[in-house]
Amino acid sequence: MKKPILSAITAAAAAVSLGTGPAALAECETAIGGLAPLSAPGTVVGGEAMREAMLIAEEDLNAAGGVLGCKVKVVIADTEGLPEKAAAVMEKLITQDGAVAVGGGYHSSVGVASKDIANARGIPVVFAETWNDTITGDKQKYIFRIAPLSSWASSTIWKHALLVPGIEKAAILTENTDYGIPAAEETRKGLATGGVETVIFSVDIGTQDYAGIVERIKAEDPDIIITLATGEAGYNFAQQSADAGIGPQDLPFHSGQVSLESKSYWENVPDGNYAFVQRIGVPENLFNEKAKNFAAVYKERTGKAAVESYAMEAYDSIAIIAQAINEAGSTDGDAIVAALENISHDGTLGRIYFPYGTQKDPSVDGKGDEWWHQWPDPALTVIQYQEEGQNSVDSPIVWPDAYKTGDAVYVGR
Amino acid sequence: MEHPGTFWGVIAWMIVWGVAGSVAIRRRYLQHDLDTSNTTFVGAMLGAATGPVGLVPLWLKTPELTNRLIVLPAIGAVVLVAAAFAFADPDSNCVANGSFVASQITNGIIIGIIYGFMALGLTLIFSILGVVSFSHGEFYMVGGMLTYYVTVVWLPGINPLLGIACACAVVFVLGALFERMFLTPMYQGRIDRPVEYGILITFGLAFTLQYFVQAIVGSNPVKTRRYFDFPRVRLPSPEDPWLVKTSRGNLELFDTISISNPRLTAAVACVAVLGALLYFLHRTWTGKALRAVSQDREAAAIAGIDPSRMNMLAFALGAMIAALAGALLVQAFSWLPQVGNIPAMRSFVIVVLGGLGSLPGAFVGGILVGLVEAAGTGCIPDPQKAASYIPAYGMVVLTLTLLLRPTGLFGRRYASGAHGKF
Repeated sequence: MKKPILSAITAAAAAVSLGTGPAALAECETAIGGLAPLSAPGTVVGGEAMREAMLIAEEDLNAAGGVLGCKVKVVIADTEGLPEKAAAVMEKLITQDGAVAVGGGYHSSVGVASKDIANARGIPVVFAETWNDTITGDKQKYIFRIAPLSSWASSTIWKHALLVPGIEKAAILTENTDYGIPAAEETRKGLATGGVETVIFSVDIGTQDYAGIVERIKAEDPDIIITLATGEAGYNFAQQSADAGIGPQDLPFHSGQVSLESKSYWENVPDGNYAFVQRIGVPENLFNEKAKNFAAVYKERTGKAAVESYAMEAYDSIAIIAQAINEAGSTDGDAIVAALENISHDGTLGRIYFPYGTQKDPSVDGKGDEWWHQWPDPALTVIQYQEEGQNSVDSPIVWPDAYKTGDAVYVGR
Repeated sequence: MEHPGTFWGVIAWMIVWGVAGSVAIRRRYLQHDLDTSNTTFVGAMLGAATGPVGLVPLWLKTPELTNRLIVLPAIGAVVLVAAAFAFADPDSNCVANGSFVASQITNGIIIGIIYGFMALGLTLIFSILGVVSFSHGEFYMVGGMLTYYVTVVWLPGINPLLGIACACAVVFVLGALFERMFLTPMYQGRIDRPVEYGILITFGLAFTLQYFVQAIVGSNPVKTRRYFDFPRVRLPSPEDPWLVKTSRGNLELFDTISISNPRLTAAVACVAVLGALLYFLHRTWTGKALRAVSQDREAAAIAGIDPSRMNMLAFALGAMIAALAGALLVQAFSWLPQVGNIPAMRSFVIVVLGGLGSLPGAFVGGILVGLVEAAGTGCIPDPQKAASYIPAYGMVVLTLTLLLRPTGLFGRRYASGAHGKF
């Protein structure tokens, strides 16, 4: 943790002695870790998007002068979406790569497994896309999050599902992870408030063959199918459901968030039209200047027609850490935490801040523990693909009304 | 489950009599100085299925344990479990929904055929070379990935058969080259521990292929379109197609059984290629030479067969079979560099279950695993657990089989050569 300060001082001393001035100062580096799933069974499409976003953040930060006069080095670590791997790479980032803080993170199980290590070592983490409520609910000093809570994300899905005409029964396919299991349970509870019966099927992350499960879901005769599985598992399930006649074109079907990767989605789920997909962040027409600039660079770099919400979250997670370090004037973990608790960061997702933490407990305002170090304002929407090959950003937002750009098509109803 | 006590009571009863039968029958046959190779299995199955009613006559008469005496008690045990389940959970889809049962059985057989086909390649390699190829899953992955790149990226619009053929050819050559470069030292006495060397070198190849592909093409999931669409068929009449009804991607039989196009295509192709493979092995000189080497390497060499060349052919052929399975399934599953991990593990289970070195064993083992997975996924009452345990179903069957018959289903008959003969 002290190494970057030491190296900055050493570099500064060397620069002064050589008479090379500020240009040489920038040769010191401040390492910030970046977690992303870059291998299966993790959600690789999401991980690659996040990696690209974090590297763009690194470039933008260095173009703006780095942090504390040093270059920012974002050290990307592949979590593979696996808890044990996440714990190992967090340890490596801190002890070997000298990361002073860590951003990124896609899978909840990764967040749950790695947060304790970072917290024990006093390294601040700003999780970008890990939803499990307990990640902030454990009220750990060094753990922050800008992704929505799992309970918020689930409520988006069940509130939208309750709008399906004549809905009486829902089938949920969920992954056996720290994201999937609680999310399925919260969705079931939410649907029950509308009198909807729910049957939950859980699978291992990375499952490929869903034939038996699809038949079982078919036998349940649900009015809606909700997928709470990340990665290509969501693709496999959606297409195999479509093959069996219970896909997005046959009944209302919530596909996994990875379906926002339009090119990949249509290649893997060619019969996936009319799928609903949850999206985080405001629609592109409501982007602020920072989001527009980031989106332009990101699209050019990746060749994609749209920027995914998790890419924006990853970008912001690195940028907010950099701002905190600058405001703290130090790479010390406690100083960064103090800065983060008071921060007001204009990110691509909007103004990011953390109203609850060591200075104000969530219970003061009657909030649950999960609000600890949690950004309270992420926008949650539901889009629907309504044309084959459509880009996710061109697809209408069908819920909530505040962002609505088109009416939902409820097939088979 | 309405009456779990009944179900678990029957299972306990079967276990008790199964254990008693396996021990008692084996001892009885030993006392009479008879062949005991199948006594544990038959005793356990007969005890589980019939209890003392079947065990006592067997114990008294000690007849020769024919295939009928081996198979019938096993079927009886399965029927008893099914009956107990039906009584205990009468509302389960597996009991009350005939359409569901038919669909699950069909799906189990179809995916089992594909599993079995992939395991054939592994068996072929083991039979001839005595090497357990840990790179089998990666050949499967490369087969699918090459088919995708040929048919979608490099030559879009090309006939998928050409793409599949191209993938198979490339992997065949890759397998042959690998065998020449890395496995030949095993047969030339240049390696102290050839078995361990074979495992490690194929492990190395697996990692190399997986990460090489990941470095070259990335890890985004890819998939081909289905290779062809079903023609629109409505039988016996368009108004009432109760017999056969097709859409582009699905076939429905008897208004109940639904089979997706990619799976059916893959399964039919696997059966066709299996037929061709059997013809090759039994009717051509080269095939007979392969079989001869698998039975007795030295005798085959004396007869003028070059075992070294057969090694190369077997490894290349085994790799190509895995690649063909991948090429057929890249239209069904999203494809990643890691996609071969699960099928490879399943192939190992199937090969051991069927009996190391046995081609029929591999195929029957594949279908058995497919059916057991379908039964487990469909029948376990708790839906949250039914699908989660998919990888475990095959392992349970494997463990039980090895407990009762350590050589696997077809192991004894076929494992008498150098590494097994087929």
